[in-house]
Amino acid sequence: MTSEMYAPGGRSTITLGGVIITAVSCLSALLLIAAIIYASGIGAREQAALTAAGCEPTLTPLMQQCTTQPILAGQYRALMTPAAQQLSTDAAAYAASEEDNLAVAEAALTAEVTSERALVAKLGALALPPAMRPLAKALISANQARATLTAEQARSSSLSRMRSFNHRVQLATATVETDMKLLQAAIDTPVRGA
Amino acid sequence: MARNTVGPRAQQPWAEDYYYQPASPASAWPAAPGPAPAAAAAPAAPPRAARTGGQTAADHQTQRRAAKSRVDEWMEVDFKFGGSRIKRKAVALILLGLPAPVPLFFMLPALLTLNSNTFAVSVDDTLGTGAEVCLFLCLLVTPMVTLTGQHWFVPLRRWYGIMMAACSVGDAVAASITDDFAGGVFGRVAGHVFELMGFFMVMLVIPIVCTSNPWAQKKLGKYWKRFQRLTYVIWGLLACHLILLEGFGFESGDNGSGFAGDGDAVFHQRFYQYAACSLFLLTLRLPPVKRWIVARQNEGRMWLVWVTVAPIFAIFVIGFAYILNEQIFKGIDSFTENPSAE
Repeated sequence: MTSEMYAPGGRSTITLGGVIITAVSCLSALLLIAAIIYASGIGAREQAALTAAGCEPTLTPLMQQCTTQPILAGQYRALMTPAAQQLSTDAAAYAASEEDNLAVAEAALTAEVTSERALVAKLGALALPPAMRPLAKALISANQARATLTAEQARSSSLSRMRSFNHRVQLATATVETDMKLLQAAIDTPVRGA
Repeated sequence: MARNTVGPRAQQPWAEDYYYQPASPASAWPAAPGPAPAAAAAPAAPPRAARTGGQTAADHQTQRRAAKSRVDEWMEVDFKFGGSRIKRKAVALILLGLPAPVPLFFMLPALLTLNSNTFAVSVDDTLGTGAEVCLFLCLLVTPMVTLTGQHWFVPLRRWYGIMMAACSVGDAVAASITDDFAGGVFGRVAGHVFELMGFFMVMLVIPIVCTSNPWAQKKLGKYWKRFQRLTYVIWGLLACHLILLEGFGFESGDNGSGFAGDGDAVFHQRFYQYAACSLFLLTLRLPPVKRWIVARQNEGRMWLVWVTVAPIFAIFVIGFAYILNEQIFKGIDSFTENPSAE
């Protein structure tokens, strides 16, 4: 036994420490064998899970073989939430200055254009399943149109001319919101192939 | 470094290394049968007869001591780096200690850009897992000292302990701001039982890290060591935290903690990872086991220790590898501000 301790008289005794470590070692060895057996089935289980979920090869660079709906929803949320916050801040800055301060209103609109173009770039880089790509394309187009309009508004030489764009910008914003809702709904719906 | 004046070094909590000074072999190893003073007088050159056969326990202890001091002494040697001289030990400690702040580094972009979404979704995984990694590395030091007889890496215990505290406090602060549980700040950090366990851990880790310095050790005297042993309570609370978080089971076909099925749900179950690591860390802390290891070392049968410990250590490595896997993947997600809700 591994826990033998040799006394001066040559008599061996079993120590508590030896018993404990031998027992734990044996348990660990059994667990290792169980782990090896379990690990040998990982590939088959993974394939079965992917088949059951209807997953396609990954849409993300994270070495996952499957981008699930919650992952996609998380990615979309991570992209849209800060962008929406920034656009709201820019819009509030414009609303506060559109009546009396051309320079501040122009700066707010320029910031809005930058935020919109950044959002367009991020949306373009978001990997989506084929079924959602037309929706994303429509959202990107609507955002680009709004950004172009806002840029034109920012170049206005007077506050009254700047305000004259408001109605057209509101319509463009409504189009963006409609497209956003459609894409959000598609992403939130558990889909096969995502 | 100052001398540890508060008692024997067995079962040291993390901060004790602050005072570490290589102790005399007599304090580190039990007295061996035979003429110890003679052995101590010539530790590095046992007689040829003793090396070739008929070795006594004292001879082996002498060799063991010599081996131990050889590695520690090698680490103490300076080498020239640029215009200054650096100890090998310092370089080794820096390299081994570098990974500890990585979990905090993973959250840095989200902090700089005030990305509340990344914090809300993945700070628990990134900093929580980081705290777990640092705790296990901190707890790993004592078993490694027991097994190898080397002490040069003991300062890492304090470093990993401090990083564990930083990660856990960061996790709690971020959760108190960004979680969406009801009940205000307290509800967000202690509104669920698993959170309450985490909250207790943070409440314990703060005084422990605050007293891991020479001044506190001097002031607390003999109570300092007992106080530092509250680290073991944190270790136990972590088990409760993980059990309450995910239970003992796992989702069929999926990762224990998430969605994407990669076919090894058991290995991804956080409590199992914890248990796999803790088995090794706990077993090698038990006084009878330590005595058994020392006895084998004294007999010169270290191979027996390695053979016995190998399966336990293998289980530790597997569990720890999966924790690191979680840390790296969730951390990269956080770093790229593309948080994974898995």
